Amino acid sequence: MERISSHQFMVLGAAVLMGTTFLPIASMVTGVASRDGWMSVLPGFAVGIPYSLMVISLLEQYPQKNLLQISEILLGKWICKIIGIVYILITGYFGGLLLGQVGDIYQSSIMPLTPIGMFYLGGILLVFCLIRSGIEVFARFSEIIFPLIVIALVLNMGLSMPRIEQGEFLPILSEGIKPIIWGGLKVAPFAMEYILFIAGILTFLPTGKRELAQLKRGVWQAVFWVGFLNTLVVLIQILIFGPGETVSLVYGLLVLGKMVEISRTFAGVESLFLGAWFGALVIKVSAFFFTVNWGLETVFNLKGLKWNLGVGVVFMGIAFKFKRGPVLVMEIGFVDNYLILPFASVWILTLWGISRWKKVAGIS
Amino acid sequence: MRSWLKMIKELTIRPKGERKVRKSPSYSIDEDLKKPLSGQTVKEILSKSSDIVFREFFLQGKERIPCLLIVVDGLVDKNLLDEFVLKPLMVELVGHPELAKATLSNVIDITIQSLLPGVEIKKISEMKDAVSSILSGDSVIFFGDSSEAIVIGARGWAHRGVNEPIAESIVKGPHEGFAETLRINTSLLRRKIKHPSLRIISLKLGDMSNTDLVVTYIEKIASPDIVSEVLKRLAKIKMDSVIDVGYIEEMIEDNPYSPFPQIAYTERPDVLAGKLLEGKVGIIVDGTPIVLVVPAILTQFLNVNEDYYQRAMTAILSRFVRYVGAFVAVVAPSVYIAVTTFHQEIIPTDLLMSISAGRQGVPFPALLEAITMTVVLEILQEAGLRLPKPIGQTIGIVGALIIGDAAVNAGLVSPLMVIIIGLTAVASYAIPYYDLSLAVRLIRFPLMILAGILGFFGVAVGLYAIMIHLLGLRSFGVPYTSPIAPLRIRALLQDTFVRAPWWALKSRPQLMDVEEPRPNGKG
Repeated sequence: MERISSHQFMVLGAAVLMGTTFLPIASMVTGVASRDGWMSVLPGFAVGIPYSLMVISLLEQYPQKNLLQISEILLGKWICKIIGIVYILITGYFGGLLLGQVGDIYQSSIMPLTPIGMFYLGGILLVFCLIRSGIEVFARFSEIIFPLIVIALVLNMGLSMPRIEQGEFLPILSEGIKPIIWGGLKVAPFAMEYILFIAGILTFLPTGKRELAQLKRGVWQAVFWVGFLNTLVVLIQILIFGPGETVSLVYGLLVLGKMVEISRTFAGVESLFLGAWFGALVIKVSAFFFTVNWGLETVFNLKGLKWNLGVGVVFMGIAFKFKRGPVLVMEIGFVDNYLILPFASVWILTLWGISRWKKVAGIS
Repeated sequence: MRSWLKMIKELTIRPKGERKVRKSPSYSIDEDLKKPLSGQTVKEILSKSSDIVFREFFLQGKERIPCLLIVVDGLVDKNLLDEFVLKPLMVELVGHPELAKATLSNVIDITIQSLLPGVEIKKISEMKDAVSSILSGDSVIFFGDSSEAIVIGARGWAHRGVNEPIAESIVKGPHEGFAETLRINTSLLRRKIKHPSLRIISLKLGDMSNTDLVVTYIEKIASPDIVSEVLKRLAKIKMDSVIDVGYIEEMIEDNPYSPFPQIAYTERPDVLAGKLLEGKVGIIVDGTPIVLVVPAILTQFLNVNEDYYQRAMTAILSRFVRYVGAFVAVVAPSVYIAVTTFHQEIIPTDLLMSISAGRQGVPFPALLEAITMTVVLEILQEAGLRLPKPIGQTIGIVGALIIGDAAVNAGLVSPLMVIIIGLTAVASYAIPYYDLSLAVRLIRFPLMILAGILGFFGVAVGLYAIMIHLLGLRSFGVPYTSPIAPLRIRALLQDTFVRAPWWALKSRPQLMDVEEPRPNGKG
């Protein structure tokens, strides 16, 4: 049985939570909270903390079982099957859409003439390699890629600083606190994507008392760092582009990358940054590929190479269906807001509530 | 068709259990070896070889005892044998009170205990032990028709002395290297680690070659799991001969399909001693100066022993140069292809103009140009490698200067491409381990093709695929990419990309289960 350490859980969680949120987040929150959008990022991500802690407390109660197996214990076989099917469908569909985003980002930014299918193929091949290598290799992959993503982000932001216009920072809270709350709600689905992933990874986590404490600390650290970095990303874009332009630029960070120039020697280094960010997308798509696999294995006992291949084909199909730009971004937003957010929040709360009630009532 | 498929399967899939390679046919000798020990039978078995010497003589004890000494000419020290075995027994000890008591039944014990002064003397009673000892260079004396015999260790043959290894030369540090003789090698190691916990376990491999090898480690530092795994994997090997460590390497490594080396090797006793003190296990094979070291991790192939003999700061700089060199050797041609074919926007205008001026008139796309030049480089390297040194140098000069210059003048390749390929070649020489350098040469080609088709996206796909492959590799249970992933922060900061000063190397690397903490300093 494969196992990952508490540290690997923290880094893997951070990498999955981060994904490519830094690309559309500025446009999303600024659209709702305007100039104050950056303030809604950290609270939005923080929604994930109580849910993660609930999931870990369920792990404490039911060691080495994933949330679907715990659902079967708490809610019965058939309800678990229905939940499992919804879980598989949502995560599978979302994973396919994210694979579509690989092609969309590359084709729209640096390689417009290359057939989009080549990007899907490159992405799915790497995802497939990771899936076949197992969760340990996936965790190690994120241990290497996550720092690279952070370095690329920091470099991109740092090198864009000369373009900051300080006047864009003020006024603060001109519309009151309400837009910030709505902005936070836009970010909350990102945290729920992470929750859906950790719902499945539970079987690979350590369950000792010390390790559980480390897992909880890992959740706090992952959410804080990802929230903090995304806050900076939004803030920099608002300060450089202003709120109006930030909303209209779907992948604003790529535009920033295009504008970077180092001592008149290197310019337009977004193609280099995209190398690191491609790793982030691979991690995110792989995470949802894993969730589909765990779902299929738990609910239908389907596992092995041919089912992996099947899921890969489905991902490719979804990626091809929603080809480009606004249609794809809208669809991702739809799944995030109307499927992932309600499903994860209701499911986790219900399970946690029932388990607490059973514990208090002394029902095993 | 089925037989073809079976053959392909046999050639590509390594069996999980016993690994049989070129198993010897059964000889009548095999049956003879099961017979009771006697001098006459041994003589019959070995009499057909002209290099076997049979010396018959008598011992005058209580009774006249016929003796037969069997040795292999060229494998024994004849002077030693004459001076300390034959002369005492036949001349000097005649009339000795102990010898006077000797009969056929007690002569062996009396000879061992009272007559022969040598250190390596023992009694044997098995036919296979007798034959194996003789063929390994020991001298065996049979007494009449006794079913026991004496083995005397008086080996001596022409061998290469302790020289500086060619492949691992250093500026600062010990200059001695392993030789082809197993005992010389173990003695070199023992001189470095004079502690009773150094374990040297002897084994034999190869049905026909009967090659001696030893597994060596330091008890309580090496993980018992790794030691037992090494012994288990060696025990699985069934082959007729082991001429070099390369025979064993492929049989015991974790992933035989990977281009990356998973077992380290060294020709230096100081390196082996250092690795054993880190908790690793060495495999020394008779007949080769190369010693295998397991488990191996990726970064180990980019670090050299001289790093520990230099000052920490200079060692860090050397390591940095090696890591950069390795990275350049992997990606330089593919990045050039990607930039010139797809991503001209990242090149400043002046440089872009200069590159396009250089490429003007070149009839091939950058991908084909790079692949052709890399193939030429590979041919030059391969041609120069096995030629005598002066001719090898000529090949290098002819290749680098004359062919390169002519190709540029003929407009077949651009000058920048020659620079890139030259840089790649020089950078790959910065990789200290030849096996890793070969792996880098191999992975360069798919990366170039991906760069030619998909630009930086292709390079990213290729590099991530290589990364995933590396992350999945293990060497005797230890993750190949440790201590980077899984992260071992102390090992990473202490002795991976950088080398901390000696006073800061307080603990052994956390690459494996190490039972005993390091008291102070690396070794």
